[in-house]
Amino acid sequence: MSGTQLLPAEVQVLQDLTVLVLAPLVSGAIAHLEGRLQGRRGPRILQPYYDLAKLFRKETLVPEDATWVFLAGPVVAFMCYLVVPLLIPELTTFALPLGYMGDILGGGFILALASFSVALAAADSGGPYAQLGSSRAMTFGALIEPSILFVVFVVAIVTTTDLPYAEAATARSSLSQAIRPAHLLAAIAFFHVVLSDTGRIPVETHTGTLELGMIDEARTFEHSGAALALLKWGSNMKQLILYVLLMDVFAAPWGLAGSRQVGSVLLAIPILVGKAIGLGAIFAVIDNSLSKLRLYKITEFMAVAFLLAVLALLVLYLGGG
Amino acid sequence: MLIAVLAVPLVAALVSWRSRTRLAQAVTVASGTATCGLALALVGAAGSHVARALHGWLRADALSVVFLVATAFLYAVTAVFTVGYMGPDPGGSLRYSRRFYAGLNLFAWAMVTATIVNGLPLLWVAIEVTTVVSALLVAIDDTDGASEAAWKYVLIASMGLGIALLATVVMYYAGSSQLGPAYQPFYEPLLGAARHFPPQVTRLAYVLAVLGFGTKMGLVPVHTWLPDAHSEAPTPVSALLSGSLLGVSFYAILRYYQLATRALGPAFPRDVLLAFGVASLVLAALYLASQRDLKRLLAYSSIEHMGILAIGMSFAAPIATFGVLLHVLAHAAAKATAFFGAGSVVRKFHTKDMDQVRGGVGSLPWSGPLLVLAVLALSAMPPFGIFRSEFMIVAGGLSDPRDAVAAALVVLVTLAFLGLTWFASQTMLSPDPEGLVTGEVSAWIPAAMLAGLGALVVLGVHLPGQLAHLLTRAAGELGTVR
Amino acid sequence: MVGGVAVVGPLMAGAPPVPSTFAGAAEAVAVAVLLTEFAMLRSALLRPQVRLYALQSLAVSTLAVVVAVSRHLGDLYVLAGVSFALKVVVIPVVVTRLLRETGDELGTLRGRIGVATMVLVALAASGFGFFAFDSLHITSRSLPTSALGVAGATILVAFLLVILRTDVVSQAVGFFALENGISVASLVLAASLPIIVEVAFLFDLLVAVVVFGLLARVHHGRTRTLATDVLGRLRG
Repeated sequence: MSGTQLLPAEVQVLQDLTVLVLAPLVSGAIAHLEGRLQGRRGPRILQPYYDLAKLFRKETLVPEDATWVFLAGPVVAFMCYLVVPLLIPELTTFALPLGYMGDILGGGFILALASFSVALAAADSGGPYAQLGSSRAMTFGALIEPSILFVVFVVAIVTTTDLPYAEAATARSSLSQAIRPAHLLAAIAFFHVVLSDTGRIPVETHTGTLELGMIDEARTFEHSGAALALLKWGSNMKQLILYVLLMDVFAAPWGLAGSRQVGSVLLAIPILVGKAIGLGAIFAVIDNSLSKLRLYKITEFMAVAFLLAVLALLVLYLGGG
Repeated sequence: MLIAVLAVPLVAALVSWRSRTRLAQAVTVASGTATCGLALALVGAAGSHVARALHGWLRADALSVVFLVATAFLYAVTAVFTVGYMGPDPGGSLRYSRRFYAGLNLFAWAMVTATIVNGLPLLWVAIEVTTVVSALLVAIDDTDGASEAAWKYVLIASMGLGIALLATVVMYYAGSSQLGPAYQPFYEPLLGAARHFPPQVTRLAYVLAVLGFGTKMGLVPVHTWLPDAHSEAPTPVSALLSGSLLGVSFYAILRYYQLATRALGPAFPRDVLLAFGVASLVLAALYLASQRDLKRLLAYSSIEHMGILAIGMSFAAPIATFGVLLHVLAHAAAKATAFFGAGSVVRKFHTKDMDQVRGGVGSLPWSGPLLVLAVLALSAMPPFGIFRSEFMIVAGGLSDPRDAVAAALVVLVTLAFLGLTWFASQTMLSPDPEGLVTGEVSAWIPAAMLAGLGALVVLGVHLPGQLAHLLTRAAGELGTVR
Repeated sequence: MVGGVAVVGPLMAGAPPVPSTFAGAAEAVAVAVLLTEFAMLRSALLRPQVRLYALQSLAVSTLAVVVAVSRHLGDLYVLAGVSFALKVVVIPVVVTRLLRETGDELGTLRGRIGVATMVLVALAASGFGFFAFDSLHITSRSLPTSALGVAGATILVAFLLVILRTDVVSQAVGFFALENGISVASLVLAASLPIIVEVAFLFDLLVAVVVFGLLARVHHGRTRTLATDVLGRLRG
């Protein structure tokens, strides 16, 4: 079995399938962990699958004033989340044919497009909370953007390219690469970005029911049935994608398959899920130990992320990082 | 002898911490007089050779002794003045008096130490000690104004000294390029090797030092703590702050100046001092004209004189350098005397507001006229020492290619003169208001003032030979060797 | 092995040199000093503020140990020990003691401007600090030169801490943080400064801390607040 090589195309399909199929599992596991941390039994690990199945069976309602954008939004976003995994080192240490299709910025643009289409769909619904959510999401998205850019700059200077594969390979290449301050700072900055983009405390309570404090969650208020299912599934996938970016590009780019042999590629999948759940556990602990920031204090959080990213660049520029 | 200079005030501080007010006063006066005597005894010796003690950690060359004499003299007269100013029962409690006298002696000790320790790091340590001790003394009256002034003072001065500490470190680095990575940071090896210091780094260290110690010295724009602290502190502390502490900080700058001129040539160090000096002089001259508070007026006058010192150092002529060192001595004596007079007025009229003080000369038969004389001395009237020193500085400036600066100096000093004499005529020489009781607060105050003015006259009329020799030698030490 | 590293290799040609593991670790500790200071900029309570200072001092002491190990300077172990004892243990304890009765007020530590703006200003300042010290081209035997840039940034941010925060605790801690920044600078520039001098610096700092604490207490006693914006009486 170890001798069998997968075709590049097969691995690419496998990448997409991993995200598509296993993203709800990761979310479910984290939700379960969170429940445990709070002294509850927590939902079943497979709960997200049941939720999705239930939603797909329900009918999809469209508000009277909504246009085609309302339904197209979730679909476009879902498509975007299927494209991004092709660009990042998810299962393999080396880039697959489509891996050079886009760099980090390209991936970032596609993620932004997804978030934009969701926001557009929410705005199109005409519901006040959905509109509030989408406007907030775009505002804070714009505020976190500079941090992302600076992280990309750091990657670009370290590797002289901005391909995620190259950064991962660099970080893996030696211990001194992994602990150089620029790399550490960029990783922590990116950690903040993930925290903010997955709608976690201290930016947002992802399990909250209070509309006034909501950002991302509020956007889906007017959707129902299959559209809502796509949105939820999409947000699970987005979470996993961001985790993969954080882990396999910055924090822990280990455990990926070094070749296209069936065994090592298949082994990479459970390792990936394990790492994602481990990372999720960290987020769950943060969720439990911090409180949500007031809406107007979120800029402080963004400022911290920006600070870290810029410091990474400064340290790097001066040749010490 | 250096060890004795170091030990006497320290012992006095310890004794007065544990003793009754009377004893503390006696000890303080005795310690001040003894220190002053020791310092004067060093004058002759330092004219010919450098004194050392404690394996080289203490060192007194002519430059040190100039500042040591200024500090020790002020310590002595302030001790005398304090007896009269505080009275037998200062602040109403033994606790207060113990703190005050212990603090005063400790403060004087730190300043004396700063002038005779060997090496920039220890110099920094001593000056930082002066900051923290004097900050407590500023706060000792426990009024709103005093606690505000003390906080501003300790914060701003400490931040300034932070910069100075950085300067110390950077200068050590500059030295390590010549003297190897680990060396004792004494003056001689540094001065010997300074010629080959890396210029960029030395320049940084020098600018940082001027900025950092300049904060303590009251150079504009980092002077902001000075008027507050001077006006809110008890008057003896104000006198020491203004007369000695500023001088000691200037001494620290001169130590860096010595190194910088050797490493960089004279132009750059002078230009830096010139910029700060002119700024100080301009601002102080303007503020002097608009002061209502007696002690703030004197504080701004201090800034003015610090500006004169800085400008004087920026002139190339040796006579100007000589004048600067003489000015340090004369300003210490004159400013202290003026503060003593101000203290007498404050005790008499119970206010520092000059609008409410009338008929000073009439009601204070001794300290009133003496205060007027001290103010005239501060405005560089002959026959006092400041006239002589400023004359020499201006003479040096006129022989400098940049004689415009000397002209500006004269104009600004005249402006400051107007501010000071306006005050004198308003408050002191005005007709007596009704119902004012004539009489001194205490005989000790005029005694201290007489001592100060006497010294000023000596400095102005006839410099003792040994002192003149000492100043010449110190000016030589500051001169460029390159 | 296909793709991946093989492709990346030639691309790395123009990248900045990778620091050695030692230099990277040392630099990371230095950056930690700076980061704790940024945390001080936004800390809103007395105790966390003092704790942040302890944390920063811990990083500085660690850095001293790193230098001591790398350069085999016995003196520096002593210095690291003394600096740990003083700055991580004694000073935080002393400050907390002195301000115990004032410390329970919540939200009394505050700034002149919003936290986000403050961070951005501080970021600009630290950028300036980095480049200013970089332009000196100082070489050091003990630490990577860029640690000096970090020290410069730390010093400038300490100034901002004092200027932009309007409470006595943050201002005092700002001064102590300034001293920490200078300690880092002195580890880079003057690692072999005689130990007597270094220890003199530290005890001086201790005295300063006591005085800061006393004055802060006097201030609190008079105004019933830790805020300094009430200190506007003396002017002119």
